[in-house]
Amino acid sequence: METIVEARGLSRSFADIKAVDNIDFRVPTGSVLGLIGPNGAGKTTLLRSLLGLSEFEGELEVLGKDPRSQRAQLMEQVCFIADTAVLPGWMRVEQLLDYASGVHPRFAREQAEAFLRDTEVKLTRRIRDLSKGMMVQVHLALVMAIDARLLVLDEPTLGLDILVRKRFFEQLISDYFDQERTIIISTHQVDEVQHILTDVMFLNHGKLVLSRSMEQIEQQFVQLNTVGESAVKAQGIPHLGSHSILGGKAIIYEDIARDSLAPLGELRTPSVSDLFVAMMGGDQ
Amino acid sequence: MAATRSMRLFTLLQKELQEYRFSLLWTPLIIAGVLSVLMLLSVLLANRITAMGDTFLQVVMAEEMGISPVITISLEDDHDEDSSAQSSSAGGAAELRIQSLDEPLPEEDWNFDREWRFEPQQRDKPEYESEQVGSLNPALHLVHGLLLIVLVLVTVSYLLGCLFNDRKDRSILFWKSMPVSEWEEVLTRMAIALVVAPAIYIGVSLLLQLVFVLLAMLLVWRMELDPFDIILGNIRVADLLLKQIGGWVMTALWVAPAYGWLMLASAWARRAPFMVAFAPVVALMLLERLLLGSDFVLTAVSNHLPHFIGGQGTEVFYFHSLFWKQFDFFSLFAGLAFTAASLAACVYLRRYRFEL
Repeated sequence: METIVEARGLSRSFADIKAVDNIDFRVPTGSVLGLIGPNGAGKTTLLRSLLGLSEFEGELEVLGKDPRSQRAQLMEQVCFIADTAVLPGWMRVEQLLDYASGVHPRFAREQAEAFLRDTEVKLTRRIRDLSKGMMVQVHLALVMAIDARLLVLDEPTLGLDILVRKRFFEQLISDYFDQERTIIISTHQVDEVQHILTDVMFLNHGKLVLSRSMEQIEQQFVQLNTVGESAVKAQGIPHLGSHSILGGKAIIYEDIARDSLAPLGELRTPSVSDLFVAMMGGDQ
Repeated sequence: MAATRSMRLFTLLQKELQEYRFSLLWTPLIIAGVLSVLMLLSVLLANRITAMGDTFLQVVMAEEMGISPVITISLEDDHDEDSSAQSSSAGGAAELRIQSLDEPLPEEDWNFDREWRFEPQQRDKPEYESEQVGSLNPALHLVHGLLLIVLVLVTVSYLLGCLFNDRKDRSILFWKSMPVSEWEEVLTRMAIALVVAPAIYIGVSLLLQLVFVLLAMLLVWRMELDPFDIILGNIRVADLLLKQIGGWVMTALWVAPAYGWLMLASAWARRAPFMVAFAPVVALMLLERLLLGSDFVLTAVSNHLPHFIGGQGTEVFYFHSLFWKQFDFFSLFAGLAFTAASLAACVYLRRYRFEL
């Protein structure tokens, strides 16, 4: 499979803190990668490096280009939503569309207008007068009208209510995503994006903790929901972590023969968030 | 490709004009509107309400004296106008016949039956210097100068904000998601400051001057004088355009480094770009004064501020012939080199150090 992002020994330090610490990874074309980590794990710094917004050490290629020196060209093929509230407030929606049509060779204005027609956003409104949810819809309309190869979303739904968040990801997947495109999302609301991810990366203290495809996660990790006596027995087996469930324990194992666990309770694939918590925190 | 490139340039400039529409577009238009209305009122009401009206009137009066020093005082007795006109023409005809016979009388001794003329040998000395009389250009330059002073103030505030405001409200993250390079962003802003904003202000100024000329013609016409002769005959259009447009070209070359420095402050500042721009320069001047007792920094800087351009420039913003004689090439080129360096530094800061 074609590679869209490739990093070797990627590091970025602020004073004596290593925000990103010697990370290697590659993102295949057509994947939806979830970048997951606690606050301060280095997610934003990593994404900023990809987008040419931050200096870094090591090797990094995005679409075969160096994001530091070729950001402007890169942005013809890469889109990003850094935050929900970064659209310039003084602009009217139509001026924003004028601007994008003027400077972006791959922007289709009609598409953005068609998308906005289904929303309550009027083209003559000033962005600062829009609600946060409407602002996100404007940004999404803009991004979806750009025929880009890579879309980077850094906490795109932070501070939005659940209805807007759900709609955001639904539209992203149904109207935008196809096999030619790649999406990288960093988010805290892992459960809401889990079903659209094809790959995940866990980041903690600037280090890459885990990098797997969802298929690999299904194969390599298993969660055992167990109660009573067998719970005690199950906890004796080496595991990644566990958390309490109603009346017992949910224990997550890595690379274990499922047959040996089957008698102890119900087996299932762990959710990304439970896996993340297990790997970060161990037993809870 | 050329079409999209000019489209792109247009879009970048348009965005700046939209963002700063009040200071770059509305301010000159409002000033021009207010001044036009004041002038119109002064023409319609009292001819003398505003300073502008006065200026025109004075220039016109002085002009009148300059062109025709003959003051005719007509003393009329009980005859009505019609009959006196008839009798004076009849008297004139009689005089002509006499003149053809005798030695012509000196001009000042001409006489009519029921009127006499006083014609002084010496011209009355007008209260204006000879340079000013004979042209309405200085009055128009006054209007132009006013708009350009506003332009410079507005531009200073624009430059201090242009690489700072979008960092402050974080919208820089949006701008950076567009395929526009830092060079394009920085050069667009400099082009606004040096070319686009001045073009708007000078354009508005020329329109305003046209309005003033038309209103002055109206005023003169109400005074029952010939507006074409008195007003249009006293405007040297080519000279006016050369001084005003050429004057800006000259000014732009000189103020470019000052503008570059302001942009650099805007790109550098984490807060209050104004302080970043002025504090170090003032501190440096004071230090130099205290430690070395010299004014090198002061001179170097003031050479590039509008009022003192090129050292001794007294005619602010105007192109004048003396200018080239006192031209300090070193200062000019050092300034332009400084401008280029500031722009490069702005690009660097905008690329790598844009977070507040």
